[in-house]
Amino acid sequence: MDFKLTEEQELIRDNMREFARTYVDPIAVEIDENSRYPEEVIKKLADGGWMGMPFPAEFGGAGVDYLTYAIAVEELSRSCAATGFTMSVHTGLACGPIALFGNEEQKKKYLTPMAKGEHLGAFALTEPGAGTDVGAATSTAVLDGDEYVLNGVKTFTSNGPVANTYVTFAWTDKNDKRNGMSAFIVPREAPGLSVGEHFMKMGIRASQTSEIIFKDCRIPKENLLGKVGDGMKIAMNSFDHGRIGIAAQAVGIAQAALDESISYSKQRVQFGKPISRNQAIQWMIADMYTDITAGRFLYYYAASLKDQGLPFSKEAAMAKVFCAEMCSKHASKAVQIHGGYGYCKGQKVERLMRDAKITEIYEGTSEAQRMVIAGNVLR
Amino acid sequence: MPNIVCCFKWVVDEAYIKPSSAGKIDLEWAEHKLSDYDRNAIEAGVQLQEEYGGTVTAVTVASSEATKGIKDALSRGPEKAFFINDEQFENLEPVQTSAILAQVISQQIDYDLIICGEGSSDMYSQQVGPRLAEKLGIPCIALVKKLEIKDNRLIAERKTDEGIEVVSAPLPALVTVLPDINNPRVPGLKDTLAASKKPVVDVSLEDLAAEYPALMVLEDMRAASLVRNCTRFGSGPEDIQAFVEAVNKTGIIDRG
Amino acid sequence: MAGVWIYADRNEQGMELLTVGRGLANQLGKTLTALVAGDDSTAQGFISRGADEVLLLPSLGEGQPLQDYIPLIANEASKADPDIFLIAASLRGKEMAARIAARLDTGLCSECTAINIDDKGKLQMERLMYGGAAVQKVSISSRPQMATIPPRSYEAAEPQSDRQGQVKSLDPPEASGIQVIERKGQEAGSGDITAARVIVCAGRGIEKQEDLAMVRELADTLGAEIACTRPISEEKHWMTEESCIGLSAKEVKPALYIGVGVSGQIQHVVGIREAGVICAINSDENAPIFEAADYGIIGDLYKVVPALIAALKK
Repeated sequence: MDFKLTEEQELIRDNMREFARTYVDPIAVEIDENSRYPEEVIKKLADGGWMGMPFPAEFGGAGVDYLTYAIAVEELSRSCAATGFTMSVHTGLACGPIALFGNEEQKKKYLTPMAKGEHLGAFALTEPGAGTDVGAATSTAVLDGDEYVLNGVKTFTSNGPVANTYVTFAWTDKNDKRNGMSAFIVPREAPGLSVGEHFMKMGIRASQTSEIIFKDCRIPKENLLGKVGDGMKIAMNSFDHGRIGIAAQAVGIAQAALDESISYSKQRVQFGKPISRNQAIQWMIADMYTDITAGRFLYYYAASLKDQGLPFSKEAAMAKVFCAEMCSKHASKAVQIHGGYGYCKGQKVERLMRDAKITEIYEGTSEAQRMVIAGNVLR
Repeated sequence: MPNIVCCFKWVVDEAYIKPSSAGKIDLEWAEHKLSDYDRNAIEAGVQLQEEYGGTVTAVTVASSEATKGIKDALSRGPEKAFFINDEQFENLEPVQTSAILAQVISQQIDYDLIICGEGSSDMYSQQVGPRLAEKLGIPCIALVKKLEIKDNRLIAERKTDEGIEVVSAPLPALVTVLPDINNPRVPGLKDTLAASKKPVVDVSLEDLAAEYPALMVLEDMRAASLVRNCTRFGSGPEDIQAFVEAVNKTGIIDRG
Repeated sequence: MAGVWIYADRNEQGMELLTVGRGLANQLGKTLTALVAGDDSTAQGFISRGADEVLLLPSLGEGQPLQDYIPLIANEASKADPDIFLIAASLRGKEMAARIAARLDTGLCSECTAINIDDKGKLQMERLMYGGAAVQKVSISSRPQMATIPPRSYEAAEPQSDRQGQVKSLDPPEASGIQVIERKGQEAGSGDITAARVIVCAGRGIEKQEDLAMVRELADTLGAEIACTRPISEEKHWMTEESCIGLSAKEVKPALYIGVGVSGQIQHVVGIREAGVICAINSDENAPIFEAADYGIIGDLYKVVPALIAALKK
């Protein structure tokens, strides 16, 4: 069992770290404050070939393994969780389903510009009444001649306001709870698609989140993704990959929290010595380091299984729930270590704590992850 | 269309160096990196190629473990690399490095311009570039901030103690560059992936069939100690007064 | 066999090399030869300050760089076969020394911080490496043993009235093919910190550019030059690189140095290690500068500096 990364993986990790330091660190505070989409940075990521990492070169991707992609997400999130998430939801949840379930035409037409970073993708599944309970969705898709007509409201769509391509889900047969939902690729220009309310969030504020409204939205029938009724299967499958990206993002946030805590505790002097000499602080740092290492290897493991073509659903769920919960806990500890300063705007740890929370919620809540794991283990 | 050679060194990252207990230094946890100023050298070569065409070859003398360094260098733009490597090449001194480079470059590479960093970030002897130029019998322009090629001559701005000299030299020539000359680009993902596929010429000690004795011999190495016995003052009015008195006592400030 | 040779591309440094060169020549019981650009009276100045022989470098043609002396110097050294050859570590000097050493097939210790002859008559030299974190002790097994000596490592030699010596004029060197097209002076706006007796240095603790005025006022009160650490010149561009003290910037040897908001990273401290008295003002008790300083005030510089100025003015 070789726990070492290859030289190439190390270099790719180092390059993303350099990229993030050079282009993302200088704007991270501002884009969080203003909830601004960092268009210029996303373009630089696209130019650098970072927006379609695990997809074949034939379709504009870089053809690297999923582990390498996840490592890049971690490094990017270490500088800015929102930017890391923008890249991860685009790659994992929008490009991913098309890469796995799309036909040649769809991959050529939609995946290629997305993998090249020319187009940004979004994943529109969640509805006001359907979060963890995906089956409670009400959106419908009716075949009318050569077109599907979509009606419904999707909410909490990440990249919603700025995406060019949406992967979305709607009932083609409301009566078939199991196989009645289908998946569709919807371009931004499709008539009847509009961006609804923008959500101002606690954290990852630079990530753009909105409602997507389908009102008699017409798309060519060729935009059906997979077969009729494959919707649930595609959605569940997409979450499996997406989870690895979120786990990596959470590790990145936790690592940033650790970096800040180490640096601060060595400098901050109280009672005549740096607080890093206090056992209370030392134990917090030790726990952070241990959980980060454990979390990192857990997502490495899930990614490696996926790369080997082995089942990885349970491992991805474990990685996601473990990394999300430890990241939230330790980001809060980091603020504690920083004391009053940690609570103030402008300090990185304040943003980390706000960013961390969402990792426990989106792409499957921690509760949903536990259902997946228990379902697997107690079979 | 100039053929450009960029020399680089794979060095211990000095950020990781810690003093050890016996007054020595601890390199056990040290990571390696491409020497800072050599990134500028490679970037300078690649920028010249973008402007004038031609080729860029990266060359290094290194221990056989420095394979990551080759990939790193190639990810920054050169089309090929020469990996002159041997276990014994871990701690060479400038006489040796320049002799090895001179032999390989003169025998195996067609060049118009050689670009080196002004010095390596570990030893900072600033000797390899100028020595290499002398060994090859070509003009040397050191500490260059700006570089262009015109009518087969090099026009360079170099730093001197008095300011800047603008000089011109015939090609082939060698320059050493300052970090002011450019901002090295961050390699994109595709650049790093492409690096593994670029040709690398492996040159071993057997291939060289020569000896390179060190002329500068290391007698000892210890952690630098700049420690003084600091008398500390607080910031209250009495402390400030006491500090001023201490400074006055040194007699350095003319209080007349 | 000739004893000790010295060369500095600027005569002020040549005077400093005379001090260390004379010491080494005396230890070896041999002569001291100085390579000097100038005329006979310059040569006599070197002789009166310790040289036994002066080799006069001829004036160069218009547009000829100083580096054209290299083959000439190497040739003369090759004929004379000195034991030791020291060159001043100016920017130009470091390059010339490396090239001369290459021509002479000999080793060279760059920016030698300590130099002495051991009981076997061999030169032992020290220099910094790893960004100032470590000290190397080296010797050279070939002839001549060469080293470059940083400026202000030694006091300039004093003239003595009764010294005699020989002067020999060297023939002009061939043109190398490198032409100097233009010479531009230094950027304006900074005093020469390398010559300053007292230096006040601004560090990262200074929050705004306008706050440099307070640092300047402290400097003026002390009759000091103002300098800075790398972040101030390289990142913030509040001062020029000519004012920057550090490993790859300037090294200074003032009698008194006061760091204001300077944390004391090794790369900076290396540049002031030869200072007479080092003082520091920093709010962080554990800032590394307090390990390298003689006197330290732990406090907020925005309160301490005005208080200090007031106390000094009294």
